[in-house]
Amino acid sequence: MNPALLTFQKLWPALAAGTVGAFVPRRSSRVERLGIALAAAACVLFVTMLWPDAVATEPASTLSNAERFPHLLSWLVFIPIVGGALMLFAPRQATKTVQWLTLGIMGAELVATLFLFKLTPTEGKYWIEESTPWIETFGIRYHIALDGFSYWLIVLTSVLTPIATYVSFGSIKTRLKDFCIAFLFLQGAMVGSLVALDLFLFYVMWELMLVPMYILIGVFGSTDRVRAAIKFFLFTMAGSMLMLAAILFVVLKYKALTGEMSWDLNDLQRLNFPLTTQRWLFWGFAIAFLIKVPMFPVHTWLPDAHTNAPTGGSIILAAVMLKLGCYGYIRFAMGLFPHAAHVYGATLAGVAVVGGILYGALCAMKQNDVKRLVAYSSVSHLGYVMLGIFSRNPASMEGAVLQMVNHGISTGALFLLVGVVYDRRHTRDLAEFGGLAKVMPWYAAVFLVVTFSSIGLPGTNGFVGEWLIMSGAVLSKGTLGQWGRSQAMGAALGVILGAVYMLTVAQKMFFGPLDNPKNRKLPDLTRREGIALAPLVVLIFVIGLFPRIFTEPMHVTIEPWIRDFNARVEVPPVELATVAPKPAAPTPTPVPAPAQGGE
Amino acid sequence: MSLWFALSPLLILSAGGLLLMLADAFSEKHTDLALGAFMTFASAGIFAVALWIMGGVPAEVAKLVAPWIVLDKFTLFFMATLCLGGALSSLLAGGYLPEHGLDRGEFYALMILSAIGGVLLVAAGDFLALFIGLETMSIGVYAMTSFRRTNPRSAEGGMKYYLLGSFAAAIMLYGFALMYGATGTTALAGIRDALASGSFGYARDPSRLTTVIIAMAMILVGLAFKISAVPFHMWTPDAYQGAPTPATAFMSVVVKAAAVATAMRVLLVAFGDKFSSSWGAGWPPVVAGLAVATMVVANLIAIRQENVKRMLAYSSIAHAGYLLIGLVAAWGHGDPSASRNGKAAILFYLLQYTVTQAGAFGALILCGSKGKEAVSYEDLAGLGRRNPAVALPFTLFLLSLAGIPPMSGFFGKLFIFQSAIEGGFTWLAVIGLLNSVLAAFYYLRVLVFLYMKEPQPGAVEAVPMKSGYVTAAMVLASALVLYFGLMPGRSLDMAISAAQSLM
Amino acid sequence: MSAYVPMFLLFAVAATLVAAFFLLSTYMGPRNKGEPEHNTPYECGSESSGGRHIRLSAKFYLTAILFVVFDIEGVFLYPWAVKFRSLGLAGLVEMLGFLAVLVVGLVYVWKKGALEWEK
Repeated sequence: MNPALLTFQKLWPALAAGTVGAFVPRRSSRVERLGIALAAAACVLFVTMLWPDAVATEPASTLSNAERFPHLLSWLVFIPIVGGALMLFAPRQATKTVQWLTLGIMGAELVATLFLFKLTPTEGKYWIEESTPWIETFGIRYHIALDGFSYWLIVLTSVLTPIATYVSFGSIKTRLKDFCIAFLFLQGAMVGSLVALDLFLFYVMWELMLVPMYILIGVFGSTDRVRAAIKFFLFTMAGSMLMLAAILFVVLKYKALTGEMSWDLNDLQRLNFPLTTQRWLFWGFAIAFLIKVPMFPVHTWLPDAHTNAPTGGSIILAAVMLKLGCYGYIRFAMGLFPHAAHVYGATLAGVAVVGGILYGALCAMKQNDVKRLVAYSSVSHLGYVMLGIFSRNPASMEGAVLQMVNHGISTGALFLLVGVVYDRRHTRDLAEFGGLAKVMPWYAAVFLVVTFSSIGLPGTNGFVGEWLIMSGAVLSKGTLGQWGRSQAMGAALGVILGAVYMLTVAQKMFFGPLDNPKNRKLPDLTRREGIALAPLVVLIFVIGLFPRIFTEPMHVTIEPWIRDFNARVEVPPVELATVAPKPAAPTPTPVPAPAQGGE
Repeated sequence: MSLWFALSPLLILSAGGLLLMLADAFSEKHTDLALGAFMTFASAGIFAVALWIMGGVPAEVAKLVAPWIVLDKFTLFFMATLCLGGALSSLLAGGYLPEHGLDRGEFYALMILSAIGGVLLVAAGDFLALFIGLETMSIGVYAMTSFRRTNPRSAEGGMKYYLLGSFAAAIMLYGFALMYGATGTTALAGIRDALASGSFGYARDPSRLTTVIIAMAMILVGLAFKISAVPFHMWTPDAYQGAPTPATAFMSVVVKAAAVATAMRVLLVAFGDKFSSSWGAGWPPVVAGLAVATMVVANLIAIRQENVKRMLAYSSIAHAGYLLIGLVAAWGHGDPSASRNGKAAILFYLLQYTVTQAGAFGALILCGSKGKEAVSYEDLAGLGRRNPAVALPFTLFLLSLAGIPPMSGFFGKLFIFQSAIEGGFTWLAVIGLLNSVLAAFYYLRVLVFLYMKEPQPGAVEAVPMKSGYVTAAMVLASALVLYFGLMPGRSLDMAISAAQSLM
Repeated sequence: MSAYVPMFLLFAVAATLVAAFFLLSTYMGPRNKGEPEHNTPYECGSESSGGRHIRLSAKFYLTAILFVVFDIEGVFLYPWAVKFRSLGLAGLVEMLGFLAVLVVGLVYVWKKGALEWEK
């Protein structure tokens, strides 16, 4: 068939949606109509590309991913960062221009993300990677790559950041430009941390996330914002300083053994440390990541940060930033120190269940502030993710990564919804609300859908993730030992507790008499809020009904990764640090990465 | 290459300083003297860089002035760094002095003459030349500190600095004398050879050993005073706070760099023999202790400051602590790779610290207004909204000081800690890293006031000053902070090459 | 160590002497310390007048310091003159440079009006 025709065949639903969007009545501004058209087209394109048989019809390409999409990952990292830097020169007073520029840059990022769907997953390898020297004196490279762990998280970032930004335009009126720049830098840094394989690059990106988030909380937050922002900053920085010390130690050990410097994960993974050293180094990394997750007992910054952050900041913080802790734990803490990770896995799983899932849920039950409640529910939900990671079998790992995405969507939506009612009433006290379903029917409906997703009702995304994790935990005799089953039971208890507190919120807010006169006149969802929420609601059901679309690409990476990891744990730790020989480089350049942890 | 060319940075500075004195005496308007001072520093710096590019001073030329003046790449690197710091400070002065009614031309001449002392100090290969450099540098700075004659704080700071400085110099001089008594030479290399040689070795003569150790301690005290390491830091906050801000910038940048450079020369060259630099009996544990005390004490006090300038003073002390870690790493248990990287880390750190710190003081100048410096945190409230063009570079510099990537300060710290771990001082690196968290707290506090607080209702909103000179300095410094941060490769290679020439 | 014995002896003798003078004057001096006359400063027998803190014109200090500066710089000429022949042309050039710097200083001082008593 004619390729042009083929392209048209693929694109017509998007074009149709765009046309319909453009003719939405009651619009005055042409620019806004155009924006809605584009958003509609992007939504349709997104769904069609995700549709189960969309992958199968794609003819298998003979070219490698890197050849087909050169520098795709660099584009993903640098579109927002360069865009943010250019935004510095945007006129401060022209708020409309600033808004559209920001959304334009994020739209470009979203378009770039769409190309990710075109990649062919390669088993046990990075799907696409780039590597060039950066600071040669110290062997620092610009090495970025993508695989099944980071794939969906990047998509999540690109989808949620524009939503969070767009919805914030409704409430952020002052210093809009600063807000937009912070958001763009944040997005670039998050994507950068997700793709970085060079430890140095990773650290730079990891720290780069701090400042924009600090500004988002500190400048645009509510009453206690300054304290919350500083607490957030210092907690995270303290963690990352320990990580930096551990990174330096590993890098210098590598240098001492091989004579050359490298910060590359692939190189450093060839090191085998004695168990004692591994323990220290593991904790150096793990503390940084566990603070970010956050896990009990270093979770205390999270409720404060969430409560005081603006809606958009909360969404990004919960949806993406916390995931970076989990991701970093898998990629670096487990990737570099398999023995220590194995030794501590079961214990940490216990902490995740008791201190995360159960304690978080119990704390959430006692909150009056809705946002604080959702924040504690985050602590609880990330307990599941961590439990899945510690259980370390294909089912639980896939469940964990999927649950990261799920939590991003449902908690992001919850924060958005809490923001909606906060914008109208400037309070988040549960006692102030009641019977809202009568005045805000749409709002109540969406809130209930998101609540169901959050408590894991079958048919929604939350169910799939939690089910995978718990089934994985039950089966994890090799990793969690005799406690696996009881930990899975604890997690199941957490699901019940989750249902209790979330349904209580829904009940208190939406049902019962509409007795507070201040609530009588509340307007329903605005168009802006509706547009922002729609894709999230769609995704809740898409993931809930077609989970295989999402787990399939992960499986390609996770399965061999776990095999490699177990093989590395089998090798007993050594007395003195050693380094395995470099694998023979496969002949055709560009060199594909050696298998993840394959040495 | 003639000796004239080899000494050109020094000669240009001297000629420029004298010319500025005359220009000041013969002209009525002093504003443009800043440009003259800037050009002097710039051309001296360019000549230093040119010498570097030509491959350094050839040995047969360098021999003519050895051992009193050492013209190696280490010296050239510091000449360029000092000139960079001087150039930035003179630009700051060009904006600050007229704004605060201090428009007297001597300031520039003093600055240049003091910089000459600094250059001589880093080039000194002999205790006598070293002392002359030290005093030339210090006297200029004493005068600059008390340049705000009508301000009691300035007078107090200058007086304190002068008295304590002379005292420290005297102690150091006594150390030199004792060292001469023990070894019979004042040349740094000669002292090393004397201390190392077995026949003359003091190890056989306990009384001589005592003399050497006392001398070493006295010299160390003098150096620690100039670096402003705890517990010899008492003068720093008062002098920094009292001095006009460009002088503060000059002190924290040029004087500190020169002092650290000379400490490197004295400790690593003169006391570089096996015994004096052993962990059991030499200076390394003392310096490590100073480093820890300096970082911890300075950071803890800085957190409690209510005055931004004073906070920056304590922060500058804390940075001296990180540099001292580098000094210990540069000894590095004698491991050549760790030692080289440690020296290079100090050099790179000082290079980037020069632009960062000068930039931060420049931003502070721009936050002030006619006749009134911005002193308290409250004065900075809301500047992020009122004057984003100042707040943004200020943010850059503070983040760089705090060591947040991708600013240059991060790389400076990174290389210091890396070399410390490489030299086997993981514990020092961890203490340093945790101190960075402490330090982040007070830098963030400035950001809080810049962006997150509004002035108290009813407070007088000062009209921030405008100055082409200071703006130029800000642009230059911001560009360099980003350059050293994003592309540190080349400057690092230079630092390594300079470090290798130190022997 | 033995080389330092005379020095320590000197210290000891000095300290003893000072202590001895104080003690001797305390015990052997006249006892009438309470008289007001004893508390007045001794000015060759004449009555003292005015306080001790008189404000001198700052110009005195300026003149004095200028004298000291140029005087000390001038002293450097003596060793140079003694070694003039062996230093040769280089020595002459260097001394000219030194004097030029000194002249710049003089011009500066002159122009700034530090040499004029009355402005």
